[in-house]
Amino acid sequence: MNSALLLLVLLVYLGFLFFIAHWAEKKDNIKWTNNSYIYSLSLAVYCTAWTYYGSIGVAANSGLNYLPIYIGPIIIIPAWIIVLKKIIRISRVNKISSIADFISLRYGNSRFLGAIVTVVCLAGILPYIALQLKAISETFHIVTKTNSSSLIFNDTTTYVAIALALFASYYGTRYVDASEKRKGIVTAVAIESILKLVFFIVVGVYVTFFVFDGYDDIYTKASLLENFAEKNTIGGLDQGLNWFFLSMVSLFAIFLLPRQFHMTVVENNRERHLKTAIWLFPLYLLLFNLFVYPIAWGGNVLFEGQNVNADTYSLLIPQYFNNTFLTVLVFLGGFSAAISMIVVSSISLSTMLSNNLLIPYTFLGKLKNEEQIINNKKIVNIRKIGIFSLIIGAYFIYRFFALDYSLVSIGLISFVIIAQLAPSFFGAIFWRRGSRMGAIYSILIGFLVCVYTLLIPYAIGLTNNNSSFIAEGFLQIELLKPFQLFGLDYLEPVPHALFWSLLFNTITYFAVSVSFKGNYRERNYAEMYVDIEKYSTNHENAFVWKGTAYTSDIEKVLVRFLGEERTKRALNIFNVKYNVDKNQELADARLVKFAENLLTGHIGTASARILISSVVKEEKITLPEVLKILEESKENIIVNKKLTETSNELKEITLQLQNANSNLLVKDKQKDEFLDTVTHELRTPITAIRAASEILHDDEDIPEELKKQFLQNIISESDRLNRLIDKILDLEKFETGKQTISPTKNNLVETIEKSIEPLNQLIKNKNISVFVESKQKVNAYFDNDRIIQVITNLISNAIKFCPEKDGIIIVQIIDKGDFIQTSVFDNGKGINPKDFDAIFEKFYQSTNQNIKKPIGSGLGLAICKQIIEHHKGKIWAQTIEKGACIIFTLPKNKNIENI
Amino acid sequence: MKKRHQQKLVVLSLLLLVLFNLPIILLFDSSDSLFGLPIIYVYIFSVWLFLVLISLIIVERYYE
Repeated sequence: MNSALLLLVLLVYLGFLFFIAHWAEKKDNIKWTNNSYIYSLSLAVYCTAWTYYGSIGVAANSGLNYLPIYIGPIIIIPAWIIVLKKIIRISRVNKISSIADFISLRYGNSRFLGAIVTVVCLAGILPYIALQLKAISETFHIVTKTNSSSLIFNDTTTYVAIALALFASYYGTRYVDASEKRKGIVTAVAIESILKLVFFIVVGVYVTFFVFDGYDDIYTKASLLENFAEKNTIGGLDQGLNWFFLSMVSLFAIFLLPRQFHMTVVENNRERHLKTAIWLFPLYLLLFNLFVYPIAWGGNVLFEGQNVNADTYSLLIPQYFNNTFLTVLVFLGGFSAAISMIVVSSISLSTMLSNNLLIPYTFLGKLKNEEQIINNKKIVNIRKIGIFSLIIGAYFIYRFFALDYSLVSIGLISFVIIAQLAPSFFGAIFWRRGSRMGAIYSILIGFLVCVYTLLIPYAIGLTNNNSSFIAEGFLQIELLKPFQLFGLDYLEPVPHALFWSLLFNTITYFAVSVSFKGNYRERNYAEMYVDIEKYSTNHENAFVWKGTAYTSDIEKVLVRFLGEERTKRALNIFNVKYNVDKNQELADARLVKFAENLLTGHIGTASARILISSVVKEEKITLPEVLKILEESKENIIVNKKLTETSNELKEITLQLQNANSNLLVKDKQKDEFLDTVTHELRTPITAIRAASEILHDDEDIPEELKKQFLQNIISESDRLNRLIDKILDLEKFETGKQTISPTKNNLVETIEKSIEPLNQLIKNKNISVFVESKQKVNAYFDNDRIIQVITNLISNAIKFCPEKDGIIIVQIIDKGDFIQTSVFDNGKGINPKDFDAIFEKFYQSTNQNIKKPIGSGLGLAICKQIIEHHKGKIWAQTIEKGACIIFTLPKNKNIENI
Repeated sequence: MKKRHQQKLVVLSLLLLVLFNLPIILLFDSSDSLFGLPIIYVYIFSVWLFLVLISLIIVERYYE
């Protein structure tokens, strides 16, 4: 393919990424950019050109050793739920923006330690970035079938590198606060992660199923090749140990690589995103590895005996079959893998460079006296230049040191260098006694061992193959051979270097930490890191500080970096959070820590401390004092928590009591009302009886007919009295639970007909038409006598309210599956919807119609309700257009408890 | 997520450490073909898939 055309494709592709990054920065798109899938995919920045091309090279040339690079991470990923969560919390509350911040803050906010971590990271990662540029450049020349030019300015890939450097320095420094989330970059990286995976799978499927006839075909042909069995097994105990060390170094790398720390920790918006990452990221890595073997061995079969670089099989195979489209696709995938690594690594390295090395050691004095706008500009420019020069520097490393090694070997060297941070890093979050001196010496010694066992031999190997250093050792001492240090001769160079460097590193860390007492600040941060769960909501409390500080001084410093407005806002938030008076002149420990945090994102932890301590006067505290204060603040937190819990409990109990009390009051009132109405109800017939009998008693000359009439009245009123007393007793029995029902299997239709029969005379008298709408037989379990009582009551009510002319009553029975619904309609005057609930109350009628003599007892519906509820059914009134409708349900099944 | 359920994931990590390393992994160290792949590949990829499924089940069920 033509160089210019490919360059154009690349430009379009870069433009597309620009667009994605730009789009993602807009606030409206937050739903798309701040989710757990974007987060999980952005972690795949782990898969660089090394994964994309290098794995195939390893699989083809030396076998399985590319797999531990992924196995290490997936072993530890489930445990992220504890370990990574802790790291994310610590970083969030302390506004940490890089791994150098993380480690140096824990060891007493040490400026020197931050600088060492930065240097180690630079040493490890710069060649790694060079390696990505090498991959881009080499694959570019393969796709265009050109040779790389010895003159830098004639080589097109130089311009690609410059474009990349511009892209990264523009988008990487949008915010002055380095702990701010860069949604644009994250989203672009996530999109690239999808693209590189898809393109890789496409070429994998192409090789496996189109070039060859599936896995079996490749296996049959490949197994005839030399050393097939050897290269597709781990082989023996020695190799097993190599395997173990490689997986361990990758396990560390997934935490410690600056780009990985940046994506997993600094760019983490919510802890919840881990939920998806824990399964999605291993799945992503699995998919990426499925087709490595077929491409590698397919390539080995196709190019047997030819001198080609196995790293680039994924390009060479489609090119061999003249499939230009696929070749370009694969190239773009590799390009994606490389640039996401380059961009993210250079951003995090430049943040470290500016916040942990340049600002605290050189610029800080100048920044202190400048205005906010100038300061921000300066900081951003330092980082911009940092990113740009890192990428260009890496390009020069690639050009001038030629980097003759394969992708994997350089990648692994940088893994081993980065792994030197592991003891201090993991010690930081799990071990309180890890000290600053321990961390500094351990990293330095580990790094020196790396230099001796890896960097020097590799550097010598680059220029001089006949050096005696590797073959005979330093000063010809057998025991100091860099690849067989102290006679350890069965490990490969990388695991060998890892073993010795980490051994010295770890021993130093522990030995120094337990031998020398650390200062109080280290111990303070140690407590905060190890016990972050306790402090994550009010971590300012965990900062122990004594001395004199004035709020106005601190404010002045803040204004220089945040500006007036943001400083005011931040201080307001602080005052509200801790309930501090805004006019308080003296600042306490919390404000000091709060101010340090605010500055940390801009200038790094070390500089923030230096700046703040220049305006406050700190008194030395002893270590026991720190521990005592921390213990007290911990206790305070616990006591506070307990107090809140108890007070909440008390509140709840009070509420319950209040409810009970108001219930009792209502009940009491109801009881009074009930007694009133009962006496009233009972008195009415008694008055009538008394009046009649008085007349009969006093006047003996009443005509026989009138006498009979009076006697008749007395009888009927006594009957009424009797019925009323029966009903009251009935109701009382139901309400106190003395009444039981005995359900048997009955046909509801029959029951209804039986209940209507005695009322027939009344119905005829009023000329009412009664319809029963139902099937022949609707069986249910109920107490026949009681339900007759209910229906009789409902129908006599209906009769009562039917108009004098054309009265209609409809009884409808509907089978609803689990229960039977019976409705009784009449076309009378209807019920006011307001009274739907009230009509089922005792003496409802009488309380509302106390002027004239009630038509009924006022207890009927209340009794109906009790009966239906004892059957586990429901009864209610409903609006219809004209008339009234009362509906009740009865469950069909027998499982009604007998009450 | 409750502490107890978090421990499940930690146990999974420990299990993987054992399954992916000496001496267990050497028990499957063979280049004979199974489904067209050397057995060692099949073993590693199956454990890998197992990891994905188990962690998916655990987080889906217990992550609140």
